Formats: sequence, structure tokens, C-alpha cells
Amino acid sequence: MSHVLHDIEKQIIKVLQSDPNLTEEKISQETKLSMDQIRRGVEWLRQKKLGDVSESVNISLSLGKNGLDALKNGLPERRLVNLVKDGPKTFDEIRSSLQGFDFNAAIAHAKKNDWINIEKTGTGSKISLKDPDADVPNDLDLIISKLGEKTIAPTEFDNTPLAEPLKSLMERPDFIIAHEEKTKTVSLSETGKKIDLEKLDSGAIDVEADVPHVHAARIHPLKDTINEVRETFAHLGFTEIIGDLSQSSFWNFDALFTPQDHPARELQDTFYLKGLNAKQLATPTQIKNVSNAHKKGWRYYWDIQEAKKMVLRTHTTCVTIKYLADKKPDEARIFSLGRVFRNEKVSYKHLVEFNQVEGIVVGKHITLRDLMGIQKEFYRKIGLTKVKFWPTFFPYTEPSLQSMVYNERLGKWIELFGMGIFRPEVTKPLGITKPVLAWGGGIERIAMLKFGLDDVREFYNNNLSWLRTASKCQ
Amino acid sequence: MPVVELSLSRLQNLVGKKANKKQILDSLPFLGLDIESLDGNIVRVEYSPNRPDYSTDFGIALGLQGILGISKGILKLDVKKQGNYEIKADSSTSRIRPFVTGIVARNGLLDDESVKQLINMQEDLHFGLGRKRKKSSIGIHDLDRISFPLKYTTTSRDHRFVPLNSTKESSISEILQDSEVGRDYGSILGQSAKVPIITDANGQTVSFPPIINAALTTVTTKTKNLLVEVTGIDKQSAEDMLSVVVTILQGAGFQFSQLKVSGSKNSTPNFASRSIAFDADPVNKILGLNISGSMLLSCLKKCRLDAVMKGKKIQCTIPRYRFDIFGGMDIVEEVALGYGIDNLKPAWPASVHIGEKNMTSEKLDSISRLMTGFGFMETLNSTLTSEQILYEMANRDSSQIISVTSSKSQEHTILRDSILPGLLENLSKNIHETYPQKFFESGIVFSKGSPIKETSSLACVTASEETHFSEMKAVLQSLLRIGFNIKCETKTLPSHVLFSQGRVAEIIVNKKTVGYIGELDSKVLENFRIRTKVVGFEIKLSGLIFD
Repeated sequence: MSHVLHDIEKQIIKVLQSDPNLTEEKISQETKLSMDQIRRGVEWLRQKKLGDVSESVNISLSLGKNGLDALKNGLPERRLVNLVKDGPKTFDEIRSSLQGFDFNAAIAHAKKNDWINIEKTGTGSKISLKDPDADVPNDLDLIISKLGEKTIAPTEFDNTPLAEPLKSLMERPDFIIAHEEKTKTVSLSETGKKIDLEKLDSGAIDVEADVPHVHAARIHPLKDTINEVRETFAHLGFTEIIGDLSQSSFWNFDALFTPQDHPARELQDTFYLKGLNAKQLATPTQIKNVSNAHKKGWRYYWDIQEAKKMVLRTHTTCVTIKYLADKKPDEARIFSLGRVFRNEKVSYKHLVEFNQVEGIVVGKHITLRDLMGIQKEFYRKIGLTKVKFWPTFFPYTEPSLQSMVYNERLGKWIELFGMGIFRPEVTKPLGITKPVLAWGGGIERIAMLKFGLDDVREFYNNNLSWLRTASKCQ
Repeated sequence: MPVVELSLSRLQNLVGKKANKKQILDSLPFLGLDIESLDGNIVRVEYSPNRPDYSTDFGIALGLQGILGISKGILKLDVKKQGNYEIKADSSTSRIRPFVTGIVARNGLLDDESVKQLINMQEDLHFGLGRKRKKSSIGIHDLDRISFPLKYTTTSRDHRFVPLNSTKESSISEILQDSEVGRDYGSILGQSAKVPIITDANGQTVSFPPIINAALTTVTTKTKNLLVEVTGIDKQSAEDMLSVVVTILQGAGFQFSQLKVSGSKNSTPNFASRSIAFDADPVNKILGLNISGSMLLSCLKKCRLDAVMKGKKIQCTIPRYRFDIFGGMDIVEEVALGYGIDNLKPAWPASVHIGEKNMTSEKLDSISRLMTGFGFMETLNSTLTSEQILYEMANRDSSQIISVTSSKSQEHTILRDSILPGLLENLSKNIHETYPQKFFESGIVFSKGSPIKETSSLACVTASEETHFSEMKAVLQSLLRIGFNIKCETKTLPSHVLFSQGRVAEIIVNKKTVGYIGELDSKVLENFRIRTKVVGFEIKLSGLIFD
């Protein structure tokens, strides 16, 4: 069987065939490949049973903090002996020279070596020299001077008289540090050794090998759907208009014939901006006519202060209605797309902030069936083909329909966009004389179908693993 | 939207045996009733607030009979002027709840399910039309426990009676303090010393509107005759509400006698229908249909309206309870419903319109494309965010905060004035994912203006051990140069709360500061639990690449 080898593998085999056991670092030096490439290549060889890796641990010794101190100043017990050489000294006198831990260790070790005597007197304990040869250097001093500032393998002490003393020194804290170093030694298997690199087809690579996942930087999946929707509206002949997210209640509610005591206007449904009121509402005529429409239709005292309260728009209709009121076009196809807000408890099906699109058709001859047709075509363009319509209710359109779209994955009809004809109570006061047909709805719902999500919050979690892997399923 | 629970077999009985259950189920959506759940015989439907007559199966059955062609046109309402039923309003009520109206319903039979349906109706009417009982509210009583004439008057808060669902006497103050309805709706009466009350000829308390009825007149399955009273602050909405109750009780088989209402601007309710005359042409035109006059009449009758041809015009008669019909367009909808929405076929209009995207959207699009090209992942965050992310964790100054009132969610209480903190939050949520991580977001930021200013900004971050200032500056420069042919400079900034000292700069275009760029401050990163180096920038796009 001939082997298909990566160039990295070939280079590793080449150096191992001349030198059978090498560390990964050494191979890296020899081949000039990076450690990362070597690790990958070795792993490939191992999987192909061409190479083997054995792990070994190397230990080396060096002096620790106390060891280095002893190298400089001598062992604590040796320093103690020097202090009492010229006559006995009290504990307090010694403590002033040998501090803290050194003091205790020095006394313990000197006593163990039988170098000193401790006498209790009336003025406290005194230490005197017992062994006159106590200042002759011993094995411990030898070990410390041998290590010095070097690093030495423990094997150098094996079978020498210093082996035992080394053990006792290693038990003392911070005198000797043992460093563990793992090395991976790579070798070739019998098959690996037999590979003739010269004979391998030099151009071939392993095209069947597994490769790592790569992540594309990408536009957010929801934004993908938003862009698709925007594009489709433009294809259908609609021109985009944009408007502010913060709006006066006048354009968000009053201009749409929503009475000021309507439940939708309450704090628990709509976000009001604390302490902010609109400075300029609309033209005096617009205000007067809207006010009159409310008085006539809903029979209550219409309060301009209420209309001035600033809200986060609850729909994009406030943008389209203002456009229509200001421009009064006879013929138009426009749309508005963007964030809208509802004061809701966040759940798998509700967000406080989401995207909505709304298209408007103005025209003398436009019909409800036309609007159904435009909508059906919109769905076809974004890949939703099973569509039906049901009647529904919206406060500012009449008649009102909702479209239902069949979803195969869920096996049921999903309510998507709504549509309807603006009530004359909305259009007349604003001087709009031609019929206005509106359609639109939430975009997240469409994106959920496209990306197969059952929890709308996923779009705003910005979970990198989802962003990196999300793919369209419809 | 309100929901009503129906028993299919009971509904079938009400509609008539000519319709089977499948036909009934299939027809519900075409009345505008969304089926929320179906569990054997029990179906829950959502109805639109403009059709409160659909708050019971009695009302829904009337609609189904029409659309299925079993029974069409207006159900004739006969209010007899027999008996001596009378209520007189005292002028003292005018300052607190000026209007009262009502009717007597006789010879009906209420089983458990009917009582349940009426309670559901009452709750929905109170919530919607009644604006949580403030505008108008209903009381339904056992007629045979009441002696006429009645008095609608006011009384002091120490007045005592036995309230509904209780056996012992309580004072008005106690009811307002101790009962759930008292606590929920007591505020409607404000601090007024006097509260409204209905008493009968024997001085017995019948009702304490809009809070609770007296136990005396409790309706049970043995009750045959009812008194319905509606009180409120608007005469017309009180009568609107009454007309819905009358229609539903009519569906339940009751007969009606007039309740004479008088005193202090009050009068006996009038249940007369209205009529609207219109041309067939505009209706056909707006629907995109070409249906004949007689077909139009039939469509309207299927919606339980009456209609006749008067010369070239159609005259449509609208019963009192259809106060949702304002004018011509509402008639158009009735025609469409009667015609059947499933019979309306989508058409394709000839159009000469050329659509286009807004310039701002286009430019934001090209930014997204370039940024992904530079290897940045796009994230999306709410513009309505939390003080914690925007100010506390980011160590930023919160003096210009813009907040919303009464948010139900702690994570969404203030409008963002910067995008970068949101990106740090995104990095924080992804610390277990592989690095490097590169994010960008473009979108609206808010600042105080007159009263509020909205502009677009772009922010981006790179998080990795190896990243550094110049990497980010390179992205910034290339983005502006390739995308918009703009040259930008960076100028040393002594300090900025988000960034490390000595590693932050202002972004300058045409001698104007348009943003900031730098290495994120280690304390800020610590607050977001980010353990790698992060560099980033935020730049104002409004005024730079679009207005």
C-alpha cells in the first residue's frame, strides 16, 4: 500500500529515519516547522500507525529560597554554632541574629547533630557549644555548594554518600526545588521506518483527511432575513422611508384614531419616555382635525397634553401615516422597516424590542384583492408558498385580514402579516383622500421559520457558537 | 385579545342541527375568531375586542347561523312596555357616576354553562368596553327578589349590606378594603365621601356599582327572570354595553320588558337600529369584485344585518349592538365577510412603481459587508437596555440617562447612548468560545435633544491576547477609505473611562471628533469578566456618511 503523506509528515519521517528518537522540540528545530505543525503531523502519523509517541518525565534539582540563602550565609544551624563558639548565649541574644523560622530550624538541627547544649538558667535558656568540631563542613554543605546556582539531575547523586543527606535536605522547606519536565519522544513504527520517501508520489496529498472547522465572519442571521425582506419590498415596487424610534403619542396613537383611554396606550403595554414631551406635534390643522375626529367618533375630551407624551413606537405605522399626512400622494408604494417596542414580559415568543415592516399602497384603483396578491407574491419570493387569508381586527384598518402560512416543520398554519385598508376616520382628518392599503408585521417570526427556531430570544443572545453555525432551513 | 371557551356540542345545539361540528370549526376563523386550542369537545377562540357580542357562545352562534346560511338578517328585538319596571337617578350621582340604564329579561333558563358564559361576558365587557369598569359596568340580578321602583343614588361609606358571595353584612369601607374587587376597582370612586348605590322600593341594597352586587339578588340556575343594570360615566357607552348583553340574552332565549330610566339627564334606553345607504359600485371597487346588488344584500344578511335595494342604492340596517360599524368601510368589511374571505382570490395589480431602499439602509448594508470582510461577526442588541450594562459595568457617566416608565423587564429600562458596552456584554457571554472574537454592531443611539435625538453609530471590538491598537486603527481607516472615501486621523486623548490611559485616541474626520478608539480599560474588562485583551472603537455615522 502506498502512503499519501502530507508534506509535514514527510519532513518528520525524514528526520526520524536518520535519528530514530527525537523530541517534538528537536524535530521542530531540525525541520524548521512550527511546534503546532509538528504536533499535528505527529498526530496524523500516530493515527496512520506510522509513528509513536512516548512520554517521559525529567526531573532536575535546583536550590530554593532557603537553599540559596544557605549558599550565601551558611546553613542556619551552622550560623548558630558560629554564634556560640566564643561562649554561651541566651535565646534572646541568638534570636536577634537568627530570626523567625531560621531560629527554630537552627536549634532543632544543631540539637539533632548533638552540636549544642541547652541549659535553663534564672535569666532564661542558654545555648553553649558541645561539639568542638561542629564547624567542620558536612554533607549538607557539600550538596548546597555542589548545586550552587546550577540545575542538576538527581541521578548524579545516586550511589554516592550524598544520596541520603540529599533526601533529608529535600524534606526541609524551600531548600531544594524538583522541576518536572515532560518530553514527548517521537519514533517511527516498523512500517514508518520502511517508508521510502524518494519513491512516494511527491505531488499527492491526503485529500480524504479530516480538516478543522473554519468560521466565517457573517451578517447576523436575523439581519439576513431583514435584508431579504427589505430587498423583496423594493422588488415589489415599494420605496423605503425611515423614521424615529421615539415618537409622540400623537403620531403613534392619536393620528391612527386610537382613543386616549384605549388599553393599548396604558403604561403596561407601551413604553413612555420618562419626563419627555414632544415640542412640535404636527401642523395646527392636523392637530385640530385629529382632535375633532376623536371627539366625534369616541365622544370624549381629547387632551393635547396626552398626545405630546413621547413613546417608543409600538409599530412602524406612525412613520407611514406621517409620511402620508405630509405628502398626500395620489399614487404610492412605500414601506417602513425597523425596531418597534412593546412593554411585555420577555419569553420564548415575546420580545420588548423587535423588527417590523409595513408596506403602504395608495391608489385610486387599488383593491383588497390586489393587496392579497402583492402579499402572496412577497411570500413566494421569500420561499413561503402555502398561504391563506382570514378576517381579523386592527383598530385602524377596515376591512382587516391576516395571512396564514403553512410551516412543514411545525405541521401547522402560522399567523404572519396582517393587512387592511386605513379607516376613513384615520385618513380623512389628515387630508388623505385616496384609499390607503397597508400590510406588514413582525420580521422575527419569519426569521424563526427560516432558521428553525422556537425561541425568539435566540436572535438577541449573540451566542457565538450559534452565530458561527446557524443555517437556513426554509 | 380576549379568549372565550366553547363547548362544540353546545354550540351545535345553539346553531341548529343543520350544521355539523366540522362545518362549525371550519367557519370560526371566517368570523374573525382565531382557534387557540382544540381539545375534544372544548374549543378556545380568540375574538376581536370590536365584537364583544362574541364573548359568549350565544353571540358566536348568531354569527355562525348567518355565515352558514342557517338564519340570516337581524334577529328582531321586541322590548315590551309591560310591567312597572322603573329606575330613577338621583342628581347626587352626577358628580361621581352619572348614568344608569338597564332592561328586564324574562322567561329564560340558565344552566351552569350559561351562567359561566354570562360571567365570562361580563368580565370581558368590564375589561374592554368598560375600560376596567371605569367607563361602564354591568350588574345582573334575580328580578324576583327586587321591588320596583328602584333608586340610583349615593350613600356614605359606612352604609352596610350583604355583598355577593358573602353571608354577613359589611360596610362599603370594609368591602373596599377587604375584598379583591374592592381593592382592584375602588380607585374608580376616588376619595369621594359618597358612593353610588342602587336600592329597591323596600330600601334594600341591590348593587354597589361599579364594585359589587348585593347577595340578595344572586343569579342561580333557578333564576328565570333577570334585571340587567349598567352604570357609567358616558351614557352612550353604557347603552352600548347594555345592547350587547341584550343580544346575548336574546340568543339565550330571554324576552324583554322595558326598564324606564329617568332623572338627572338619564333616559330610557333606545334599542332602535340605524341605517346607512350606499352605492354598490365603490364596494365592488375596493374589494376588487363585481358582485350584483342582490348578492350584496345576501352578503350583508349573512352578517346578521338587514339590507334592501332603494333605487340604485343599498340601504343597510344595523342593529343597536353593532356600534363597531362607523360607516361605509365597515360595511365593505361586512360584505367581504358575507362573501367569504376564502372566496376572495388574490389578484396581481399592474404597477409602474419602481421600488428602492433608503440611502441610510444601503450605507449601513455596505458597512456590514465590509466589516464581515474584515472578519467581524455582526451582533444585534436591544436599543432599550439596562443601566447595569450601559453605565455600571462600563464605568460610564449616567447623568444624561433616558429611561422608560414601568418596564416589565429589568434588562430593558433605558435607551442606549453608546453601542460599545453592548459588544462588551456580547464578549462576556462568549468567554467559553474560541478566540480571537471579533464583533461589530451598527444601529441607533439616543441622546437628549428637543426632546430626544436619534443618530446611527458603529462599534466594533476584537478580543484576543495578541490584538493591539494598530490592528483596530487599520480596520477603522480601511473601512472609511474603502467604503466612503473618508480620511480619518487618530489624536491622543488624555483619558476616557472605557479605555486604558495612553492607549486611547479620538477619531478625527475633517477636524471634527466623530468617535473613540483604543484598548479597553482592564477594570471595565474585569467588570464584564473578560480575561483577554480587547481593542475597539465607536464612531458616529450620522453626519459622517449620511445625514
